[in-house]
Amino acid sequence: MTGTRMELVCPAGTPAALRAAVSAGADAIYCGFRDETNARNFPGLNFSAAELAEGVRFAHAHGARVLVAINTFAQTGRVGQWRKAVDEAAGCGADAVIAADLAVLDHVAKNHTGLRLHLSVQAAAATPEAIGFYVETFGVRRVVLPRILSVQEIAALNRSIDVETEAFVFGGLCVMVEGRCHLSSYATGRSPNLSGVCSPPEMVSYDEDEEGTAARLAGFTIDRYAPGQPTGYPTLCKGRFTAGEKTSYLFEDPVSLNAGNLISSLKAAGVTALKIEGRQRGKRYVTEVVRAFRKAVDAVEAGSDAGEIDRILSGMSEGGRQTAGAYRKTWR
Amino acid sequence: MADQPREGELPTFVRVLFPPVAIAPAGLLLTHCVRTLARRQPNLFDRLGEWRSARYLVAPSDLAFAFIVVPDGEKSIVHVVGKNSPGSVDVAITGPLLTLLGLLDGTLDGDALFFHRIISISGRTEAILALRNTIEDAELRPADFFGLHGIVARLADAGILNGLSVVRWLIAGRAHATGKL
Repeated sequence: MTGTRMELVCPAGTPAALRAAVSAGADAIYCGFRDETNARNFPGLNFSAAELAEGVRFAHAHGARVLVAINTFAQTGRVGQWRKAVDEAAGCGADAVIAADLAVLDHVAKNHTGLRLHLSVQAAAATPEAIGFYVETFGVRRVVLPRILSVQEIAALNRSIDVETEAFVFGGLCVMVEGRCHLSSYATGRSPNLSGVCSPPEMVSYDEDEEGTAARLAGFTIDRYAPGQPTGYPTLCKGRFTAGEKTSYLFEDPVSLNAGNLISSLKAAGVTALKIEGRQRGKRYVTEVVRAFRKAVDAVEAGSDAGEIDRILSGMSEGGRQTAGAYRKTWR
Repeated sequence: MADQPREGELPTFVRVLFPPVAIAPAGLLLTHCVRTLARRQPNLFDRLGEWRSARYLVAPSDLAFAFIVVPDGEKSIVHVVGKNSPGSVDVAITGPLLTLLGLLDGTLDGDALFFHRIISISGRTEAILALRNTIEDAELRPADFFGLHGIVARLADAGILNGLSVVRWLIAGRAHATGKL
């Protein structure tokens, strides 16, 4: 798959962001419905069915595709809501559904045979055996890879499977086994895997005092910031805790992924599509990040390097810091 | 140091020129503008959901007054209040006036500004997210607030947005000249 042109898959939390992504050069846009069926279920975000239909029309008119994330896990007794979301996505003319739940995958496979099926990162499928199961059972056409693999591991994986892979290249970084993380559930009682929101905003607070800002989740202090110090959204995996008489970021530093300089390596590793995280981010973010990656991907496809993408995007990162994440496992 | 404007803020004399008492009637005008917008774009406020009735305090750090906004469609209310007596609010948003205006028209990225502490937010996080996402999708232009159409709207938008850009450029130049960047 190294001979084909890589696809740039970009986020949209609103119809305006979808239009911004298309205008900035996205090959495909991923978005979700305004309910618990997608993993970015934030207040005021996402699409109604009518907005999705209009978004699909706009994207198709400009040569872009729309992928609909229905990627939370269907709740017991309420699977119908997830099936309905799939049916609506198909009715709106979506080009693919991104799913992780077995019942949702099964519903697409059996009832919407013409609809492409992408395996969500929420499925955390990272082995040839797991991916093979989804491909053989449901006809999955693309797998969104978990953000825990090095470039070498992705290359080895791609040699062992016969399905497209999509890799995150920018934005919020999750290093947990996605779809199975219970940190947020433990603190808030709400599951990101079921209700679609990690660190639900109604339980987030930023409390200021003379020493700076305390970011809290459900009353737990996740981190403290000195006045003027860049802050971030309080997720437990990026919190600072004291253990063994040492205070540190126990799970991961509050940094954002930027693999802009690894585009050619990911292409060589057989990756089909590059994904930008950030459906919860605004138009300005979408426009700047998509435009920068469009330029970088085109440069790589033309045989050049990705240019100064790190510098261009340094201001767009949550926490103001960037990393190549697991793609370069320098800690090994 | 407290009297010196921070990065992106208007000059200090602006606070003196516009005390809260003098600017209070502007609340009526702004209320009319938001209600006009709601009449022309009734679906615009849908994304706010339950937060249509929330009280948002918008406090420009370079002005002596602040605004209380209740973005409830055609029942919207905008009050001008003194910064020290805003009363009970659900959310408080603070930052330089030109930065806050940049959020309104989508010129600036609110998340990046917040993460880098250029604006500060306190109160109900879900209410501010709902408002942020509503404004993001609305793609508001200055003319929308005045109910303008056609060529007049385009001229007003161009004039106001270009004017704001020039003022931002002048302020950035002043900060650069005084070594604040």
